[in-house]
Amino acid sequence: MGRRWSEVEVGETLPGLVLEMTATRVVAGALATRDFMPVHHDRDYANSQGAPDIFMNILSDNAYCSRFLTDWAGKEAIIRSLAIRLGVPSFANSELTWQGHVVAVWTEEDDPTEGWVEVALVATNDLGDHVTGVARLTLPR
Amino acid sequence: MEDFDGQIQALVGREVGTGEAPDPVNQPMIRHWAAAFEDGNPVYVDEAAAAASRHGAIVAPPLMLQTWTMATPKITGMAERGGSPVETDGPGFMAVFEEAGFTGTLAVNSEFEIDRYLHLGEIVTSSTTIEAVSEQKQTRLGAGHFLTWVTEYVDQDGEPVGRQRFRILKFRPEGVA
Repeated sequence: MGRRWSEVEVGETLPGLVLEMTATRVVAGALATRDFMPVHHDRDYANSQGAPDIFMNILSDNAYCSRFLTDWAGKEAIIRSLAIRLGVPSFANSELTWQGHVVAVWTEEDDPTEGWVEVALVATNDLGDHVTGVARLTLPR
Repeated sequence: MEDFDGQIQALVGREVGTGEAPDPVNQPMIRHWAAAFEDGNPVYVDEAAAAASRHGAIVAPPLMLQTWTMATPKITGMAERGGSPVETDGPGFMAVFEEAGFTGTLAVNSEFEIDRYLHLGEIVTSSTTIEAVSEQKQTRLGAGHFLTWVTEYVDQDGEPVGRQRFRILKFRPEGVA
């Protein structure tokens, strides 16, 4: 079970992920990643720092990217790298949308069972690009 | 400013932090993580599904790597410490930037490389080293320096399991003397 590398094509679009980034999601993500910086759970504190609301922490960005990738690639996928550029903040009560597509597929000579996939991804909200990045994962051929 | 440039370039190669996971890789924290992000990948929480997969057993979400070594917070006194979740002993390596007026901080890039997935019971430690400090650049936020560090994560045998390269901009907020 799970996706195989031979089924993946360059240009393939990953199923989009749209989430209402509620305050609950922001706080749940921050605490599940053990990030207790108050800008991620305390609205009064965030306001005092000039932010209109609490906002997502970076560990949660990585987590959602990982989920976005394996929602599509399945349980046999192995994520090898994830490089993201951080853009506009993701404040509580904004909608965040992940999109991605396959930009490359290849195999490596010294590994007869594994196939590589490179995915370009972006998470956007009403302010612009929150996260843009590139991930590499492998699947059984 | 030559003195300042010398000081910031001297940071390159310096180890600026270490981390030790307070707990081994464990199912409760993984379950908490998977629930928070509504990640339905069964290899994180379902023993039978994980056993039937090529992982052979439950694995930790790969991008959870950084979570294992996050410092246990001290809630009391957080406000007095300016929002810092942990107590620190003296000024950190960024003080040299702050003193020169580069008080703003903006996270720019996070780049993870995953060498292998972790199983329950494994113990992660980390060490962080400054990799690069840029010369002064003019950015839309103000003049600043890009600072890149690499956190290397190793297992209980000291073998690498992954690393994170992290880049921030330390900038002098515009309109501030």
